[in-house]
Amino acid sequence: MSDPFDLCNPTPEHLMLRELVADFTAREVEPQAEAQDRKQELNLPLFRTLGELGLLGITVPEEWGGAGMDATAAVIVHHELSKSDPGFCLAYLAHAMLFVNNFFHCSTDEQRRRYLEPVLSGEQVGCMGMTEPGHGTDVLGMTTTARRAGDRYILNGTKTYITNGPEAQLALVYAKLDGRVTAFVVDRSCPGFSSSQPIHKMGMRASTMSELIFEECEVPVANLLGEEGSGMVHMMRNLELERLTLAAMSLGIADRCLEIMVRHAKERVAFGQPINRFGQIQRYIGDSYAMTEATRALVYKVALAVGPEQNNRLGSDAAKLFAAPVGKQVADHCMQVMGGAGYCTEFPVERLLRDAKLLEIGGGTLESHQKNITKDLTRHFA
Amino acid sequence: MKIGVLLKQVPATDTQVRIADPSTGIATGDVKWTINPYDEFAVEEGLRLKEAGKATEVVLLTVGGKDVEQRIRDALAMGADRALRLEDPGFEGSDCLGLARILAAAIKAEGISLVLAGKQAIDGDNAQVPAMVAELLGWGHVGSVSKLEVDGAGFKAWRTSGGGSLDVVQGGFPAVLTADKGLNEPRYASLKGIMMAKKKAIDVKGAAALGLDASTVGAGAALVVDSAWTLPPQRPAGRILQGDNAARVKELVSLLRSEAKVI
Ligand SMILES: Cc1cc2nc3c(=O)[nH]c(=O)nc-3n(C[C@H](O)[C@H](O)[C@H](O)COP(=O)(O)OP(=O)(O)OC[C@H]3O[C@@H](n4cnc5c(N)ncnc54)[C@H](O)[C@@H]3O)c2cc1C
Repeated sequence: MSDPFDLCNPTPEHLMLRELVADFTAREVEPQAEAQDRKQELNLPLFRTLGELGLLGITVPEEWGGAGMDATAAVIVHHELSKSDPGFCLAYLAHAMLFVNNFFHCSTDEQRRRYLEPVLSGEQVGCMGMTEPGHGTDVLGMTTTARRAGDRYILNGTKTYITNGPEAQLALVYAKLDGRVTAFVVDRSCPGFSSSQPIHKMGMRASTMSELIFEECEVPVANLLGEEGSGMVHMMRNLELERLTLAAMSLGIADRCLEIMVRHAKERVAFGQPINRFGQIQRYIGDSYAMTEATRALVYKVALAVGPEQNNRLGSDAAKLFAAPVGKQVADHCMQVMGGAGYCTEFPVERLLRDAKLLEIGGGTLESHQKNITKDLTRHFA
Repeated sequence: MKIGVLLKQVPATDTQVRIADPSTGIATGDVKWTINPYDEFAVEEGLRLKEAGKATEVVLLTVGGKDVEQRIRDALAMGADRALRLEDPGFEGSDCLGLARILAAAIKAEGISLVLAGKQAIDGDNAQVPAMVAELLGWGHVGSVSKLEVDGAGFKAWRTSGGGSLDVVQGGFPAVLTADKGLNEPRYASLKGIMMAKKKAIDVKGAAALGLDASTVGAGAALVVDSAWTLPPQRPAGRILQGDNAARVKELVSLLRSEAKVI
């Protein structure tokens, strides 16, 4: 007799991974989450523990020191971590998805030997610079430039809202070379590279963010990723995994808020009875549950078809477009069910609600997903 | 030196246990299973001894069906080398002594010289199997070890005894030692460990392969039989004594003596 297919844990290894991350999250991530939000700092020792557990190279093949796992595994990690600390999870995402996964798929063996080991252990932090002060959604309009000068490329321009910017030793940066988007790996030691003071934000405060500044920044030619002008291909391919894992973060937030809401509604008594007897409260709970389950089904279904050899922009855009408002909505419902307590920092809900909003903006705004989906579907039905 | 670790799966501590049928036991349908927490200390200690160069191999031993394989994988993912799952229709219904006979036969066949186990399993709380294994093998046994030192010649084990004092027991191998809380802090299975666990061997052996006389194990040989299952009785509500303090203290003392019979 074979077991029925478990969409969220397709193999025993996925289930073990989930148990590992859930256990780690409950024991080590949850207790520090509130304080890091208040301090607005990345917890570097905890980040390095992710390296010890092997989570930083989750999608990197085993022969390169990673775990060799798939998009579903990446979703599981983001889903479980975000139940306690989406901000910390965002730092993980910027490192493991935006830097490590992206770098791995566009680097040569020589570049992997040079850069992979310290980012898999967590000794070094990575980030990815795409967005600029003048160009976010309109990313291809970027104005950061690169020009070839002997054995170096010279970069000029500014990237902004870069998660892990303040801590990062390594950045995967997109710049235009002869008008064509090209990817580079830039090292802290490259002359002319710096990061700004941290940029403060509403939520996701357990990760930091800054500008990356390139002033006649000298990057060795050996740090070109892929071919000159191939940057857009890498960017688009990696955005799929980024959007999928961001959607998984919204799911984690929704799961956590649903649990808090249900427990509170059972325990809180008003007018002589638990508030879960009131129809209006039941609507918050019932709607939240249905939305969360729909998100779970969509996110894990799409995860089955995201990978380095597959194209699934439609799926990953749809997953994030659907999941992000659900994360925010369920957090908001949870706060409403809790009343004043929900608004107070003593409970995690106000933090989760602040964190949830980012997922409607970062990694692509809701509007950009709608734009992409329309474009892809129009082509599909042409 | 080869280390054998005895492993049992138990319901997780946050599982709501329900009785399925008073004659057969608990409802297992929605139970979440974990490795017995004390066994995790034993696995961890075995791994540390191997990492310190004091053991060559850590082998897991468990009696049970296919449903325990996930727990075995969990311990393999922590770093144990391989596992033996002991299963045979004739093993079913074994009591502690039957289980100990099965395990002892496997331990002998494997050439193991140090057995580590949890001091008790948190489901049945019998705390019998490891001591019985030691007795059947004619080996030394120290229970509830909270600190352990091993060198070429033997071991030194610390165990809490009555009144909070510590016994220090020295002995040689082969031996059976059981782990108490405090012995170590079990590691997380790393992701690499999880991927490697997939490739590690879980051998299944029955009575014939162990050279075991089937009439000494299983329901037929059991000396202890569970006759009925019930949940613990509901705790009665507390009582709040009335009156001034002097009267209440007097009443309390008299109740502790006559009703609770604790003084
Ligand atoms: C916390 C945080 C972390 C981030 N981390 C990173 C990072 O690590 N690396 C990185 O490169 N970037 C990062 N970003 C940047 C993020 O990807 C951008 O903010 C996002 O892509 C939106 O770009 P923008 O802010 O310039 O908004 P804009 O593009 O200026 O958008 C403003 C509004 O206009 C709408 N709009 C724009 N174009 C269209 C259109 N064609 N049709 C309809 N509506 C449109 C948008 O949807 C939005 O509502 C981060 C942002 C935040 C807030």
